[in-house]
Amino acid sequence: MDGLTPEGVSYKDMARIVGIDLGTTNSLVAYTDAQTGTPRCIPGPSGSTLCPSVVSLDADGSIIVGEPARRRLLTQPERTIYSVKRLMGRGLADVQAELKLFPFRVDPSSNNVIRVKLGDKIFTPPEISSFILRELRNWAEAYFGEAVDRAVITVPAYFNDAQRQATKDAGKLAGLEVLRLVNEPTAAALAYGLHEKQRGTVAVYDLGGGTFDISVLKLISTGEGDIFQVLSTNGDTHLGGDDIDHLLQAFVHEQILQHDQIDFSPHGELAQELRKELIALKHKLSEAEKVTLRFPLPNGNVFEHEFTRGAFEALIRPVVDRTMAPVRQALADAQLSPQQIEEVVLVGGATRTPLIRRTVQEYFDRKPHTELNPDEVVALGAAVQANILDRGVQNMLLLDVTPLSLGIETYGGAVAKIIPRNSTIPASAQELYTTGVDNQTGIDIHVLQGERELAKDCRSLARFTLRIPPAPAGLPRVEVKFLIDANGILQVGAKDVRSGEEHFIEVQPSYGLNDADIERMLEESIEYAEQDFAERQLIEARTESESILAATAKGLANPRAAALPAAERAEVDQSVAALQAAVKGSDYKLIRKKIDELNHATGHLAELLMNTAVQTALEGKKLAEV
Amino acid sequence: MSTPFPITHSPLVCWNCHERTIGTHFCSSCGKMLQVPEKSDYFAMFELPRKLWMEMAALEKKFLQLSWKLHPDNFVNATPEEREISLKRSSELNDAYRTLREPVARVEYLLAIEGARVEGQNKQQAPPELLEEVFELNESLDELREAKASGGDTAALKQRLQAAETNFQGKLAEVDGELQAVAKDWDKALDEGADHAKRKGIMAKLNELLNRRSYIRNLVVNVQKELL
Repeated sequence: MDGLTPEGVSYKDMARIVGIDLGTTNSLVAYTDAQTGTPRCIPGPSGSTLCPSVVSLDADGSIIVGEPARRRLLTQPERTIYSVKRLMGRGLADVQAELKLFPFRVDPSSNNVIRVKLGDKIFTPPEISSFILRELRNWAEAYFGEAVDRAVITVPAYFNDAQRQATKDAGKLAGLEVLRLVNEPTAAALAYGLHEKQRGTVAVYDLGGGTFDISVLKLISTGEGDIFQVLSTNGDTHLGGDDIDHLLQAFVHEQILQHDQIDFSPHGELAQELRKELIALKHKLSEAEKVTLRFPLPNGNVFEHEFTRGAFEALIRPVVDRTMAPVRQALADAQLSPQQIEEVVLVGGATRTPLIRRTVQEYFDRKPHTELNPDEVVALGAAVQANILDRGVQNMLLLDVTPLSLGIETYGGAVAKIIPRNSTIPASAQELYTTGVDNQTGIDIHVLQGERELAKDCRSLARFTLRIPPAPAGLPRVEVKFLIDANGILQVGAKDVRSGEEHFIEVQPSYGLNDADIERMLEESIEYAEQDFAERQLIEARTESESILAATAKGLANPRAAALPAAERAEVDQSVAALQAAVKGSDYKLIRKKIDELNHATGHLAELLMNTAVQTALEGKKLAEV
Repeated sequence: MSTPFPITHSPLVCWNCHERTIGTHFCSSCGKMLQVPEKSDYFAMFELPRKLWMEMAALEKKFLQLSWKLHPDNFVNATPEEREISLKRSSELNDAYRTLREPVARVEYLLAIEGARVEGQNKQQAPPELLEEVFELNESLDELREAKASGGDTAALKQRLQAAETNFQGKLAEVDGELQAVAKDWDKALDEGADHAKRKGIMAKLNELLNRRSYIRNLVVNVQKELL
C-alpha cells in the first residue's frame, strides 16, 4: 500500500524499538532478534533479566533501581519503594486500604496525584516508574551499544484511562517515545506465537503481582495476514499475587501476636524480613506438600509453623475465587462458553501456584499453556509487537478493545454510556450540546469510565467547560467528539456545528498529571539523567557492599558467631577492612572483587548462623541473602 | 463525471495531491488515505447500499480487510497528519462495524442518517395496549421492594415477577419479529425505487417499533434488577 512509503517523508532514524513489561514486582525489557525473528529478554549487569520494580533514593541524592534497591528494602525502608504500579493513575482515596500494608509514606499534600516520600524528597508514581524504565533503557543500550528511544510498554488490560496516561507519562519522563501501550494478556498471546495458528479462540489468564486480567481473543487468518482480535477483557486492577502474600502475612502476624504478644508493625524491618521468608515459603509450597516456617523473634523465641499445601490453599482460596467472576464475565461478553475456548494461556508468577493451575484447568476443561517462563512472557510479547510496528509492513494486526465503558454525566447524576466496554479501539462517539438559557457561555461536561449507572460510582476521567459565545438558548450547537485511541487513552475535540469551527479542548484530567507537571518533572529529571555506565556500576557495587557489610556486622554480633575459629575471624575482619577501603575509591571492579572475597570469607560464618534444618534448604546462599 | 455506486461522501479534492478523487477511503489519484468526510455514513464506509438485511460473514470480512488498511499501526512511521487521519478513519470504521452488526442499532442508525429518528415524547409513557399489564407489573415491583425492606416473604412475589418477565420477553420477541418484517419492506422499497412518501411511511413504522422496543426492554431490565 502506498501510504506506507510516502515520498519526501523523512523517517526517524530506525533505532531499535524495545518491548518493556513494566510490572508490579519485576520489570523486563526485550527485543526481537532481526535474524531469527524470535523475541529475547535482555539481561542486566547481574545477568538476570528480571529488574525488581524497586526504587531507592540514596543519601547522596542518586537513584538506585532494581536488585540493589530491593536489598535496601531491609536496610533503608524509608528511602525505598516497591509495587509503585499499584499507585499509578490513582488518587489518595483509591488506595487507602492498601496503604496499611505498604510501608510507603504518602505525602499529605497528595490530591489528584499521590505523592510518595523517599527520604526527604517527594516523587509521583510516574516519576518513580520512569526511574525503572530508565534503568531498563540503560540495560538495552548497554546490550546493543546504541541509543534506544522508542518503546512498546505493556499495561494490564483492565487499566483505565488515568492509569494508561500515567504509564505513558512515565515513558516520557524516561526519555522514551511510547509507540504503543499493549495490553499484557494480548502480549502474552503474541509471545506464544498463537497468532501463527490459523484460527481459534484463546483465553489469557494473567495473575501478576498486583493486577488480574482475563482476555478472550480470536485469531482470524485473512489473505493479507493474521488478525488478532480481542473480543473481551475483564479483571481487577487490585488483585494479585501480592494479595496472597498479604493473606499469609496477616495470618502469621496474628499467630505471633497470640503466641508471643509481639505486634508487627507492617512498616518495620522485621515485617520485611518475614515477608521475604513467606514469599520463599509460598514458592516452596508450589513444589513441596509441606513446609515449616521458622522465624526468629526479637524476644529470643523462634516462631514455628508447619504449612501443608492443603492449609495454604484454604488460606489463599478467596484470592483465587475472586479471579473467577471476571473470567465468567469476559466469556459472557465474548458470547462464548468455556468449552468453546481452544487455547488457555497462563501469565504471571502467581500462576505457578498449583491451586490456580488446577482451578483454571477445571473451568476450561483444558490444560493451559505454561511452556514459556510466566515472568518473561509479557515482555517477549511486547517485543513481538515492537517488531511489528518497527517493520511498518506487517503480516499481523492486533485489534484491541477498551476494557471499560465511556460515559458522560447527565441530569441527576446518571451516566449515559457513549462507548460500550469491549469496543474495538480506536473508537469514538459524538454528542451534540446546546444551551438551556439565553446567553449561557459555558456547558459543563463530565466524562466517566465504568459500568455503574451513577456518576458517583464511576471513575471520573475529566471535567471541562465548553466555552460558547453568548446567544439565545438552544441556538448554539456544539458537537463534542470523544475518541479513545489505540492505546486506550481518551482525546476530546469540539466543533461549532454552525460555523464548522473546530476547537481544541484542553481536558483537565480528574486524576493524573497535567502538562505543566510533566514539564517540571522533565526539568527535574535532568538531575537523575544518564549517569554513565561506570558510574552506575560504582553505585551498585557500593550499595551491595553496604548490605554485605551490614549483614557481616550483624552476623558477627550474633552469639553463635563465637564458635568461629580465631583464624577465620581474622580473615573476615581483614576482608571487611579491605572492602571498606575499596568502597572509598571509585574502582567498581575492585569493589566487586572485595565483595566476592568477603562473601567467600564469611561462608562458614553464614553456616553457623543457620540452624541445621534451614541450612539444607539454603545451601549455597551468601551471607547477605540469609 | 459519473458517480459510482454506492455513493460515498468523500471529499472531492484530495488533501495531499489536490486532485479530484472518487475513492472511499483512499485517493483514487495518489493513493493516500482520505480525510474523514464531514458527515459520516457507515453504509458507505462498507460500500453497502442503505439496506437493513446484511450478511454477517461478509460484513466481518470487509471489516477485517479495512482494518488492515486503516489501522494506526500501519502509520507509525508516517507523518503526524497521516497518523491523525488514520486514527480518525479507523475509529470510524470500528464505530461503523459496532453499529451495523447489531440489527437494532443498524435500524436506529439508518433512521438517524435519514433524519427519521424521533424518540418517544415521553419515554416513561406506556404504549396504550400495554397499559394494564404495565400497571400490574409496577404494582408487583413495589410490593417486592416493600417486602424486601421489611424483611417479609418474597418468594411468591418473585414468582409472579418471573412470570411477568417471561411475558414481556415474549412481547420483545414479537416486536423484534415485526421489526424484521418492516425491515424487509424497507429493503424491497429500495429495490423497487419506491417514492419518498412510501419510504417515509416505512421509516415512521420502524421508528415507532424502536420506541416500543426500548420501552419494553427497560421494563425487562428493571424486573431483572429486582430479581437479582
